[in-house]
This record gives sequence, structure tokens and C-alpha cells, in this order.
Amino acid sequence: MNLSEVTERISRKLEAKGAQPDQQKIESRLRRLVEEFGVNVDEAERTVTGDLAREYNVTGIGSSSTELRPIHEIVPGEWVTIEGKIVALTPPVSPSIAQTGIIADSSGAIRFVTWARANAPAMEYGHWYRLESAVVDEYKGAPNLKIHSGTTISRVEEDTPLLPSITPITELKPGVGSVRAKFIQDWDASHDRMLQTGLLGDETGTIKFVIWKEEGKDKLDLDTVYNIFYATVDEYNGRLSLALNTAMYIADEGDIEVGRTETEIRGALVHIAPGSGLIKRCPVEGCNRTLSRQNYCPVHEIQPEFRYDLRIKAVLDDGIRAKNVLMQREVVEALTGITLEEAVSIAETNPLGMDEIFYRMRNTVLGRYYTCSGSEFGGRLLVNSCTPIAFEPAELAALLNRAGGEPA
Amino acid sequence: MKPQSTFEREPARRVFASELRETRYQFKDGDDEKSPTYVILPSGIRSNRIFVVGTLTEKQRQGDQNIFYRGRVVDPTGTFFIMAGSYQPEAMQQLARIEPPAFVAVVGKPNLYTTPEGNCLVSVRVESIAVVDRETRDLWVLDTARETLDRLDAFGTTDDSKKAQEEYGTQPDLYRKIVYDALTQVQL
Repeated sequence: MNLSEVTERISRKLEAKGAQPDQQKIESRLRRLVEEFGVNVDEAERTVTGDLAREYNVTGIGSSSTELRPIHEIVPGEWVTIEGKIVALTPPVSPSIAQTGIIADSSGAIRFVTWARANAPAMEYGHWYRLESAVVDEYKGAPNLKIHSGTTISRVEEDTPLLPSITPITELKPGVGSVRAKFIQDWDASHDRMLQTGLLGDETGTIKFVIWKEEGKDKLDLDTVYNIFYATVDEYNGRLSLALNTAMYIADEGDIEVGRTETEIRGALVHIAPGSGLIKRCPVEGCNRTLSRQNYCPVHEIQPEFRYDLRIKAVLDDGIRAKNVLMQREVVEALTGITLEEAVSIAETNPLGMDEIFYRMRNTVLGRYYTCSGSEFGGRLLVNSCTPIAFEPAELAALLNRAGGEPA
Repeated sequence: MKPQSTFEREPARRVFASELRETRYQFKDGDDEKSPTYVILPSGIRSNRIFVVGTLTEKQRQGDQNIFYRGRVVDPTGTFFIMAGSYQPEAMQQLARIEPPAFVAVVGKPNLYTTPEGNCLVSVRVESIAVVDRETRDLWVLDTARETLDRLDAFGTTDDSKKAQEEYGTQPDLYRKIVYDALTQVQL
């Protein structure tokens, strides 16, 4: 670890408590411990922080941070002491990590990581522990608790009942979250390692979720409400998603009226992109990629046993903004009046083959006005419904008034 | 200038033929060879793509080596001159298949030409064209009326409209009249 980084951190910690430490002094003390005495950096940081805290007479940081804190209050940059229950353990992603998982108290939950170097005792799932002098930092935009060699871990024998607090979907933040939500859309897995992916919704909104393949993980049942405790909330490209592998999920009774975060756009379809119409998809489970004309999948190579599908990739334009839209089979069938079966039989008997379907569909929808509603995804509108706009005489009257202004 | 990181497709502006006919001012946004070319419409907005729906009244094949098609598309206010050449083979073939008269929807790029006599002509280079129905034509008239009025309402408050004022001396009331007349031709 870079010493100037550590210096910076110690200095910030002290400044936060109103002290004005001399950075050079901090660094020289660290350097002395690390370089002359062979102390490891984490320990040096702890020692220097503790010493300076005493010198500046501040409390609440370094080795003196023994005051117990509720988990939901702690923020990156702090040294903390917490008591919590291990509610999830996940396989470490690197040999330098001994344990990763989620620790929770009644106020909230946080991801933690125990470095192999820390030589810390392994914590057991379902037990309570007191962690003294752990460091909170930020990993991929979410707070993360680091257990290092200076952290004292002690097991708490009594088992306090723990009820996770449920967060509305629209209020989830990167980190750990518990939701009560209904499984509303089952999507095709886009990756071999994916067990299931789709959309969960509660009264406030919807969120994408993933369950990665893992021993003992079950799929969710569609249209069922679940209590999901301690899922991992990740952020990618500004969008949140839930990974349920850390979570405990239990089907619950009752139903949820899912609040849709639907976007609705009115406009004309000004462009039908190549790759619309009848397409072939890779049959390998969980792949589902579009095949080339020669049945080539970028991952699974030649796949003669492809399956057919319909889709339209288009641009819906309201004169102010041009929006990419993607329509899947059901929407395409309803819009064009051509079913998948019909499309396949046309393509197989027509000299133009699949192009014939592209041309027919393009000629049916291009240049016409539609209202598309659906959810936005990666700058594109995934269309749930697409209806033609009908001529409204009232609108004509209103526009005549507007253009005429004062009667002539 | 827009950030380069996320490409945003240029919207297709709605404009009546009589307004497009008055368009004279063209500029390039940026120094790059691939920078988009815009025209400033008299109602006060830049445009490098337009969407029109009207009646294709005439089409002609021209050229020997370089075949291209010309066509006339009529709206309630006047005529759009459209063309599709071998650089837009899809559009050219679509146009070739359509027999006038027919209601058509056209997406294309406005282009300015100066004739040897010094007259300025505006044509529309077709990106795609499709046969539509009368209802779509009527919807387009409403849509174009609304967007033209929106532009006129904002006239004088945007940079593009100040440029239009400078270049054309646009009189918003004149264009309101054009919009009104166009609307009266839509049958209830």
C-alpha cells in the first residue's frame, strides 16, 4: 500500500474531528514503523492513528473507536466498532481474501471482507460478532467493511432475534438491501452461469435481479411475492440491480400492485433497423444470441438447430428526440399482424427468405404514428405495448384555435 | 457541442413544404469532415433530418451511369422535391416500387442547391420512404402544425431562432397563417 495514501487517510480522519495534523509528521512516523521496524502498513496506520488521536486529544477514531455504532450510520472513511450477525457468506474472489459476506444488525447491513493477511478467526454464518476497529471504505460505489489485522473479532454468545428492515425498491442504494417484492418478468438468461434473471417489483417500482448458479440456490416462481433479505445491490452504468446469491428469499402470502416506472413516447417510426423481422437465435441454454445468416453464434459457433424469433429494432421520433425502441415477439405480432408461425412459413417459401419479413414489417409500420410504452434500458425503450395513434378531431380544433389566435 | 461519448441520433424535424422552400442558410457544426450539416429553418431551429408525409404525385428515373429517382411530394402548403440516388440503394428501390399518386412518409436530409441561374433550391435526400394512409397524412399535418407553433412560440428566445431572424427576417405571424391554412385542409 502507498504510504501517502495512508497519510492522507489518517490526516482526513483527524481533520474530521477538528484537529490539524502535520502530514509530513504522519508520513515520517509511518515510514519509520514500516521501513525501520518492518511493521505492516495496516498495523502502522492503526498505531499512528491511535498515537496522534491521543496527542490531539480526539476520540472516536483509531484504536479508541470502541463506541458501538449502528450499521446504517457508518460511512466510508471511518473506523468503527459494530456488533452484528453474519447473514451471508460468499465465496472469496481472490486468495488474498479470507472471507466475504454480509453482517447485519437491527439498523441495517453491510458487506464485509476479511483479508487473508489479517489472520482473523473465521466467522460462522448465523452467529453474532463484535468487530472492533474495522475500517469502512467504498468498493464499487457501496460501503464495505474491511477486517484487517488490527480488527478485534469476538463472538457474542446471545442470539438476538433480527428482523431486517425492508426498503422500497426506488430507495435502494448500492450495498445491501432487503425488499418485499413480486417476481413479475422472467428473462432469458444471458450467461451460462446465470440461474435466473428478470424483474422484481414492489409498489414503488421495479428492479432487475440475478441469481447466479450456485449449490442450493432455487429459482423464484413467477407472479409470487417474496421477502428477500440481504440481497446485494450493485450499480452498473447508473442502474441498480439485485444479486440474490447473498440473500435469503422466502415466498410470502398476498399480492403486490407493482408500481410501473413506465415511459411513454408518442412519435413516428422513422427508421427500422437491420436485424428486425424474423431472426434466428442460438439454442444453447442461457445464450439466446442472434445468429448470423450462416447460423453463426459469436460464442457457440455454428448452430443449425436454431430457433426463430421476431423482433423490431426501430427509432421512434417525436420531432424533438429520436428514441431507440426494441419490440419483442408479442408486440411485433400484435403490431404487424404477422405471427411467428406465419413469418416462418413465408420465409421458407419466399425467394427473399427472411428479408421478405423485414420488408413486409417495414412497409407496415414505417412512417406511421404510435404510442410506445415500456421500460428504459440502456438508452433503449423495451416496448411492452405499442398502439397506433388515431386522429382526434378535438386536437385539430385546438390547433386551429392556437394558430388562428384572435379571430380574424 | 454535444459530448462525443453518447451518440444521439438527430431527430427528424416536422416542417411544411412552404417553410422548407424558404430555407437558404446551411452550416456545418464542427470542423470535422464528418461533422453534421444543418439547415436553419425559418421558424427557428436547426435540422439535418426531416419527416414529411404527403402525396407522391410524380416520380422520374434519371441519369444513365448514375441512376437516381426524383419525386414530388405534396402537402397542404406546397411541394417537397425528393431524390434518392445509388448512394441510398434501399431508399431508391423503395421509391422505384411506389406508383404515384400515393400517400407516402419520407425520412430524409434537407439539401440546398444553387442553380446556374442563381436560384436556391431545397431538396430532400431520401433515407427511407413508405406508403402510408390518409389518416397518417392527417396526423402528420397536426403534428407539424403543433411543432411549428411550438417553434414560433419560442421564436426570439433561442440561438437558432435568433439566427433565423438574422438570415430570413422571419415574421412569425406569416407562419401562423400558413399553419392555420394547412389545418383547414384537413377534413373532419
